[in-house]
Amino acid sequence: MTEIDAARGPAGPERNAGGVSVWARLARSPAYRGLATLTMSTPRRQFWALAVLPILWVVFTHFAPLVQMLRVSLLDAYPPTIGKDPEFSVEHYRVFFEDQLFFAPYMRTLIFSTTLTFCTLLIVYPVAYFLARHVRRDRQILFLLLLLIPFWAGEIIRSFAMMLVLGNNGAINIVLRWVGLIDRPIPFMYTPFAVSVAIIYLTSLYMLLPLYSALEKIPQNYLEAGADLGAGAWTRFWRITLPLSLDGIAAGCTLVFLISTGVYAIPVLFGGPNTTTFAETIAGFFHVAGDRWPTGAAFSIIMLLTALAVTGVFNRGIRALQKDKHR
Amino acid sequence: MTRSTRLIAAFFFWAFALYLFLPLMVMIAMSFKDSNFIGFPIRSWTAGWYAEAWRDGDFIGATGYSMVIAVVSTAISMVMGTWLAVLLTERKFWGRGIVFLFTMLPAVVPGIISAISFRIYIRILDMEPGMAAIIFGHAVHNVPFVALVVASRLRTMPKSHVEAAQDLGADPFVAFMRVTLPFLQPALIGGGIFCMLLSFDDFIRSFFLGGYDPTLPVLLFSKLRSGMSPEISAIATVVLLVTAMLGLWAERRMRRLERG
Repeated sequence: MTEIDAARGPAGPERNAGGVSVWARLARSPAYRGLATLTMSTPRRQFWALAVLPILWVVFTHFAPLVQMLRVSLLDAYPPTIGKDPEFSVEHYRVFFEDQLFFAPYMRTLIFSTTLTFCTLLIVYPVAYFLARHVRRDRQILFLLLLLIPFWAGEIIRSFAMMLVLGNNGAINIVLRWVGLIDRPIPFMYTPFAVSVAIIYLTSLYMLLPLYSALEKIPQNYLEAGADLGAGAWTRFWRITLPLSLDGIAAGCTLVFLISTGVYAIPVLFGGPNTTTFAETIAGFFHVAGDRWPTGAAFSIIMLLTALAVTGVFNRGIRALQKDKHR
Repeated sequence: MTRSTRLIAAFFFWAFALYLFLPLMVMIAMSFKDSNFIGFPIRSWTAGWYAEAWRDGDFIGATGYSMVIAVVSTAISMVMGTWLAVLLTERKFWGRGIVFLFTMLPAVVPGIISAISFRIYIRILDMEPGMAAIIFGHAVHNVPFVALVVASRLRTMPKSHVEAAQDLGADPFVAFMRVTLPFLQPALIGGGIFCMLLSFDDFIRSFFLGGYDPTLPVLLFSKLRSGMSPEISAIATVVLLVTAMLGLWAERRMRRLERG
């Protein structure tokens, strides 16, 4: 270390008053040397020094919360009452299957999220297509950045902005009344329609980015080759563009589906009594007294498994489709 | 492509841009409305709501609270995310697939479930809901994003850099600090700002893990539930402008990286 420092000349940025770099002084300090021998003297030690902390981190902070949620969902009561040990119970799962009150929001959330994901795809695909195919390459980033601005505002602020558009005195009703199409405001708020519009406003950018990056990668000469072989615009789209953008479709739909199953604020702000989602049901168990936590945990587990199963099956389907096309 | 499909695609694009921007413009317009009631028509204009927001102690307090949470949680996410990225890109080991899966887990768990699982977990760890709990939740949630950004930058680094440093006598730690870290710097800045914005904007985790003090999104949410006023528009407009500028800056930095 010292020879190198001598060779580097006196004006190095980390140089301190003594003329020796911070790093050289560190390397010479006995404490650091001891630690270095302990952690870096053999490749095996180097590996463990690098691996132990991050592996503990992912196990105890990424994975453990879900495992603990599973454990709590299988207890008869949590937080435990003093003097009584919690016992194993599947009661909270049974409640879900027996009570219609909970099954309705669950199905509603599933159908809602699936429909919304599909709608988002239909709306965003032409946008991504236009961006990747019809905008000059050096301007694409600019256009994309433009569309990303609302993304930075955050869930609540965007929801608020949407409320100003959909409300009874909101932008749409005012314009319609001004044009003379309606006499009294259309009550958009507190309907499934309002919830959908607001959720798509939240999720569409998660669809845009994967779709754009998949479409942008398709080489122009594939399409030209198609055209040379006599394929019309639609054939080229169905046989070339769409199959090659399946990766983007899969990634975008997965993200949007997972986000829209887990949205809580929007159904609360935009929804009415007949748009209760499963997220609201789950949250309800945690606002009241603690003894319903296991039920909430059980419902969360059910929802997580369902969401992962749906996206898993969907992705498998897409992959099968891709293999089919390759043959 | 034919002219007509091009026109249809262009129409979709601009309609979509309108869909994204119109609500925000309405919100900005509403923040200048001279009335206690929100909604159209706007008959007279004022900048008074901005002054009102500036004097609103709750709002200033919540902003500061959110900022502290964003900075601290980002620091934790960056250390752990970078560490994981280095481990996952530079080493091949048994169980690497599982570690990768666990790393990405917080990014795929739906918001409400992630919030609930942390609510239960902090109870098990005997932590009170409050600042520390929110920081913990945000830090964990943001690690996958840092790991992804750092890993993609790390893959473009020539192996020879670190080897040269080690030939010159640096041990792996010093080589990492003096060679790898400076190389990663742009990714770390971009990823760090991205994380701070994610934490600053997060509602669901802050809502379930928070104590009595609200973060800014939680404060806005409760104000929205209890009734709207143009003051919320003013607050939201300020937040929108600041976060959008920071976000654009971070995004540009990261895009420039990807291109080389």
